[in-house]
Formats: sequence, C-alpha cells, structure tokens
Amino acid sequence: MILKGKVAVVTGGRGGIGRAICDRFEREGATVYAADLDASGSLGQPEGSALFLKLDVTSEDNVRAVMDQVASEQERLDILVNAAGIEIEKTIEDTSLEEWNQSFAVNVTGTFLTSKYALPLMRKAALGGASASIINFGSYDGFIADPGLAAYCATKGAVHALTRAMACDHGPEGIRVNAICPGYVDTPMLQSFFTGDGSGGGDQSIDQLQKAVRDVHPMRTYGTPEDIANLANWLASDEARYASGQLWVLDGGLSAQVQQMRL
Amino acid sequence: MRLAKKKALVTGGRQGIGRGIVDAFLGEGAQVWTCGRGARPEDLPDVVGWMQADVSQVEAVETLAEGLDTLDVLVNNAGVQVEKTVVDSTDKEWDTVVGANCRGVFNTCRALIPKMNSGGAIINIGSISGHVADPGMALYNASKAFVHGLTRSIAVDHGPRIRCNAICPGWINTGMLEAGFDLARDPAAARKDALLRHPVGRFGHPDDIAAMAVWLASDDASFATGQMFTVDGGMTAASPLNPGMF
Repeated sequence: MILKGKVAVVTGGRGGIGRAICDRFEREGATVYAADLDASGSLGQPEGSALFLKLDVTSEDNVRAVMDQVASEQERLDILVNAAGIEIEKTIEDTSLEEWNQSFAVNVTGTFLTSKYALPLMRKAALGGASASIINFGSYDGFIADPGLAAYCATKGAVHALTRAMACDHGPEGIRVNAICPGYVDTPMLQSFFTGDGSGGGDQSIDQLQKAVRDVHPMRTYGTPEDIANLANWLASDEARYASGQLWVLDGGLSAQVQQMRL
Repeated sequence: MRLAKKKALVTGGRQGIGRGIVDAFLGEGAQVWTCGRGARPEDLPDVVGWMQADVSQVEAVETLAEGLDTLDVLVNNAGVQVEKTVVDSTDKEWDTVVGANCRGVFNTCRALIPKMNSGGAIINIGSISGHVADPGMALYNASKAFVHGLTRSIAVDHGPRIRCNAICPGWINTGMLEAGFDLARDPAAARKDALLRHPVGRFGHPDDIAAMAVWLASDDASFATGQMFTVDGGMTAASPLNPGMF
C-alpha cells in the first residue's frame, strides 16, 4: 500500500494503460479519479472501480471544472497521470491539418492543460514535505520513428521536452515530473496499429504479425498495461522522491538493440 | 582543397573505411600517413607514408610518434571485431578487442596530442553499436562506447587547442557485409530485408564515412567538438519494428 492516503487523477483513465494504472493505484491505497471522455473508455468496457470524471483534456473550461471538483472533494492532489492520448497512423503528406491539430490538442495541449490546473492542488500536497508527482506519457516513438506515425512521433517528442521543462520549473515546489515512454504495449492502440491503414502487414494474419513483432523484442514479448502500471506506481510513490525530469523507457529492451536483420 | 597543408595520420588505412579516408584526404590536399600491423600495401599511392605499427602496443605507437614532427589531423580508425556474447568471449579476445579499440585510441592520442598543432582535429571511429547493441558482439559494442566517452573527454580536456569528434558508421559495405549475407539461410531475402531498414535505400560505402571525416578535419567544422556523428543511412532513426517488412 505504498500510495496509502494519496489522491490521484489519471487522464485516459478508462483506456488500456490508464485503466491498469487506476486499478493499481487503488490497490496501493490511493483515492483515484479516472478522467476520460466517457465511462467505458477506448476498450468499450464496463466502468472501472475508480471514481469517474468526465473530461475532454483539450477543453480548458472542462479541465478547470474537473480540477475544481477535485479541489472541493479532496483539497489537494498528490498524483497526476497524463495518460490520455491518440495516434494518427499516417505520414505527414496524408495527415490533414485537422488530424495534426487534434493530435497535438490531446497529446500535448492536454498534458499542458491538466498539469497547469492541477499545479495549485499539487503544491498543497507537497506542503507536508512529501513530494507530489506528475507522470506524463511520452513514447519510444519520441526517440525513434515508426513508419507512418509522423504526428504521433512529433507529439511524443514534445511531451519529452515539456516533461524536462516542467521538472525544472516545479521541482523547487516539491513537484516531481517524469515521463513513461512505453514501447509496444498490448492496448487498443497497438491492435489498431496492426490492423490500421498505416502499418501494412501484407497478406499475413494478425497472429503472424503479432508473433513477428514479439520476436523482435529481446524479451520476446510486448508489454502489458500492468507492466506500465508497475512503473507508474513507483514513480507516484515516495520511493521515487529523488526521481524527476527523466524519460523512463519501458520497452522489453526493444530500443537497446540495433535493427534486427533477418539473416 | 579543404585540407591543403594539413598533415594527417589515419590508423588502419590498409582497406575499408580507413583506406577510404586516406584517399579522400589525399584528394583534399593533405599530406597523409597511415599505419597497420603488416607490410606496406602494394596499392597504396606513393605519396602516402606507411608506418608499420600495432596501435595496441605502447612501444610501437611511441616509435610511430617519433617519426612525425607535427600533426594536424589524427583519425583513429584501426579496430577489430569479435562476434561473441560475454559468456563465450575468452580472455585473449578481451585483450584483442580492448587492446585495439580502446587501448589503441588511448595510445595514439596520448602520444600524438602533444605533437598536434593548435587548430588540430582528432576523429575517432565509433559506431552505432556504441549506442545500441548489435546481438552477439558484446565486447565490440562496449569498446565503441568507450571510444564515445573518450571522445568527449579529449574534447573537454584539450579544447580549445584540439577538437575531437567521433563518427558512428552504420552498415558499411566493406566486403564483410556481403560475406555475412552469403552465410544467411536466404541471402537474397536477408539483403532485401536489410536494405528496407535503410531509409536512403542503400548500404553505406567507405566514401560516405570519408566525406564526414573530411568535413570534421576541415576548418568548416571549427565549432564542432565532443560530438558523435552518426552516418548510417537513417537506420537508427527508425524503429526496428516495421510490420510492413514481416
């Protein structure tokens, strides 16, 4: 129960990774708000156990109202996880301006807005000497490119830089800021990548594609949302009190290797 | 003639990337020396000075340094590769890889930095394998990371008198590459797969690395120091995971 007594907001909290983080935080004793566009999230599953907040992270009014609600119910916020994100599977030539803007609105502006309006509540949480923790979602794709994911790669690079900037600015206030950079994690987003227009798997079945992708990883598997929740749990806890401003790559060793030639 | 009047030593200039750099430096007007463990290669142009030396041996490098009065450009290209994991590597292989790739660079830098003119440049050949691991090449990968670290240290300690940078080549077609493909179960498929992973659509050539070496050696690069310059046709900019290839 390393998060006992802490208050957490997880955006994208009813999606693949967000839902796993909410579940883990609750098991660790935190009071958890799952903020998402709707209560069933991208998995279209039943509501989870965490308290639901209806939130569109691209709307400043909406973000402000949600943080006001947290303030009136809890008076402080110890943990903010910015897990809401979208992925457009296109090259820049095929990406419309609207799709580009929407990618940045959710992945970058959303992180900016929720963090901005959470800060006053997080300062209060940090007053007692324990640090407050913001966890952003970067990506393996913020370091190296996957083909046909141009806008996504660019937004994640922006989140990485924003993470370091926020850590510099708000560290003195007792607020730690880190980003988790997942590789391939079994979520609706990954399944869409296998079947989407941008990835192109020839005439192979999804099973064959999934096996091929697993085999490229040194650990011979891609991750689960629970793997990501394990790291989020640590970064949110007081055990991580000296961890800030870092980009934590969690990818089964994928990016440690040179391209895997089939020889 | 971007290297006119410059005196350059390129270690390991018998063949491959080293020879490509020797030829390019000559073309830009430099006075070039090169060295290797064996006798002077027959096809080496007469204007190039040959010194027989194993860079892993301190005495040999000191003798080599005595033969040079001053120097403007030092290219540490000599290196060896052992294709094994940590568990399979022998003590002798450790000595071979670390001797040539780590100690060799240290030996030449220690012996020659005092002889280098102000404004001089050291160019080390690092590798993309010093950033990310090639499977089954543990000591080689680690030795190249050493080269990257030493590059930064020399840049910091010996600036502003000397600049020091590293080039990190990707897959360069030196004959070893084709031999590797020939060993594959399906050589044609392996070649095609490897090519697909290069956004420029081809493998590298020693000239590609030599072109970067010329720039780093020239005064055009007078503000560049302490950096790793990757020349790999875009390979390491792309994810190794591209379902379109499977």
